[in-house]
Amino acid sequence: MAALLPCIGLALGWGLWEALIRVASSRAPIAAAFAPAPSLEALYRLVREGVLPYHAAVSLPRVLIGVGLAAGVGVPMGLAIGYFRSLERITAPVLQFVRTISPLSWMPIAVIALGIGDRPVIFLIAIASVWPILLNTASGVRHLNRSWLWLARSVGASTTHILIHVAIPAVGPQLFTGLRMAVGIAWVVLVPAEMLGVSSGLGYFLLDTRDRLSYSELMASILWIGVVGFLLDTGIRALEARWRRSGAGQA
Amino acid sequence: MKPSSRLWRRRELLAAMGGMFISWGMGWLSGCLPRTPQPSPVKTPVSEPGPRAGRPLRIGYLPITDASPLLVADALGFYRDEGLGDVELHLFRAWAQLLEAFQARQVDVIHVLIPAAIWLRYSRRFPARVVAWNHVNGSAMTVRPDIQRLKDLGGQTVAVPFWYSIHNVILQMLLRKAGLRPVLGGEGKVGPEEVRLVVLPPPEMPPALATGRIAGFIVAEPFNALAEVQQVGRIFRFSGDVWKEHACCVVMMHEADLEQAPSWSRGVIRAVVRAQVWLRQNRQEAARLLSREGRAYLPHPPKVLERVFAVHLAGYEDIIQNPAWSPMRIDFQPYPYPSFTEALVSALKETRVEGETGFLGPLKPAEVARDLVLEEWVREAIVEVGGPKVFGQPATWRRQERIEP
Repeated sequence: MAALLPCIGLALGWGLWEALIRVASSRAPIAAAFAPAPSLEALYRLVREGVLPYHAAVSLPRVLIGVGLAAGVGVPMGLAIGYFRSLERITAPVLQFVRTISPLSWMPIAVIALGIGDRPVIFLIAIASVWPILLNTASGVRHLNRSWLWLARSVGASTTHILIHVAIPAVGPQLFTGLRMAVGIAWVVLVPAEMLGVSSGLGYFLLDTRDRLSYSELMASILWIGVVGFLLDTGIRALEARWRRSGAGQA
Repeated sequence: MKPSSRLWRRRELLAAMGGMFISWGMGWLSGCLPRTPQPSPVKTPVSEPGPRAGRPLRIGYLPITDASPLLVADALGFYRDEGLGDVELHLFRAWAQLLEAFQARQVDVIHVLIPAAIWLRYSRRFPARVVAWNHVNGSAMTVRPDIQRLKDLGGQTVAVPFWYSIHNVILQMLLRKAGLRPVLGGEGKVGPEEVRLVVLPPPEMPPALATGRIAGFIVAEPFNALAEVQQVGRIFRFSGDVWKEHACCVVMMHEADLEQAPSWSRGVIRAVVRAQVWLRQNRQEAARLLSREGRAYLPHPPKVLERVFAVHLAGYEDIIQNPAWSPMRIDFQPYPYPSFTEALVSALKETRVEGETGFLGPLKPAEVARDLVLEEWVREAIVEVGGPKVFGQPATWRRQERIEP
């Protein structure tokens, strides 16, 4: 029965999709191309011809490097901000301000500072995905059981030692949540970011299908991005499960 | 599943990912990968020690047929013939992003709407000049099937691609003639004597027309052809039937390159002029070459592009009001007539646009024609390929502007 539940969800989604397109295409026939049948047909064709896998292979490193950079900056900053209350007070106004800036309004700055091609795309992904990682890590540290920290300090542990051996293992679950959110946001930002003078990638291809009004191929790329995103999320969850099994979670 | 096969799969995946990162890293190191790999130059490279030495020629463009000469010059190796070395083509999706990259000096040569070129030089005070026309005509106004006359647009919304565009200028000429008043942006209903103008990205125009959100749009090809092929609208008027052989997109370059690397710059201009000669003689071949089934410079299928590059406007006799001009849907002629620039500056002063427009007031048409446009080098290049007659133009380098909305 439990295995059946996702199938019910998929069937409901399909029905909703079909119904929405029926309504829309009764008013504007152009919408018929968005329907499930032509979209899946286009998906099959574009995957078989290798078009979508090729563009995914171009976009995936952009996403992973972007999120990797975000984690490289977000985790240490999150740890520090969560641990030192004064640092949190100092950074709060600026961080809250910068966080609400739409990632896309960074575009002109990205192009001016980093040129065109891969670099601005990665920058836009990193700047959009750094916030969930930073904030989740910081909140994890903040909600640490303070008695552990006192305990660690009382046995003579240094601040660095406490952060590495107590805080990081303890905030693991929040960190993974932040990472999963970050990857989700990275895919959202990828499409508009690949407007900036690149010549391949899933976002680029999606915009191409839009430029030639070929909407079943557009839906196919959306579905494909969904599949790739789902696989990536599954990968992170597998990593998390492994980390838990290794016992680090019980520190 | 056996553990060994699981391990193998993981290893294979890691190897594949590693390969991706390595190839990506190489791309990073060598700058942006050019869209089409170019063999080494066949002619001796321009021996100019200046700022261009060793740097690739970077061209920015939008996926519209207006870009054709810049793209054809690459496809046929004309840049290489001029000894310009490596060529990188960068595709952008909107005017704003193309102009941003140009202002950040991330691209050297762009095609740009001529009113936007005026805005860039006189409002933004950005040091760049127009060196040639990229094409003439190439745009049209498409309407919903229920719109029969201009008067029917009263109380409706019409989309333009950019406030500083020849499309906006021509649309407002048409509306004024029909006694309709343009209202820019905003919400709510407009009066029966008014038409709301909105800026929409070209790919959004045909679907917006199909859903009835707008009553019409005026834009560069192939978006009118796409709307025709998708049967969501019909062409109401070709832009070249309103303003005879008007410029739309022009070729723009950085002033610093023009001053410090003159022979390199002349090479670029020569390549573009030669591309236009070829385009005039090989229209249908151009449609295939540029399409996704050719060299894929543009994402559109040949069927749509062939419509745009058609030689005669057969089947449109009922909407063409100036048949004597024998307007082509898109045509190619590089000489930047000063009379056009002057007439455009005057027309812009009468056109309503959003944003800061104070810079338009003090502009003197004749001065703009001299200061914005560098016409000597393109004139040289035209003479080299056989003179103005090659492009069906008078030998006097002068013309009378014909505007009949």
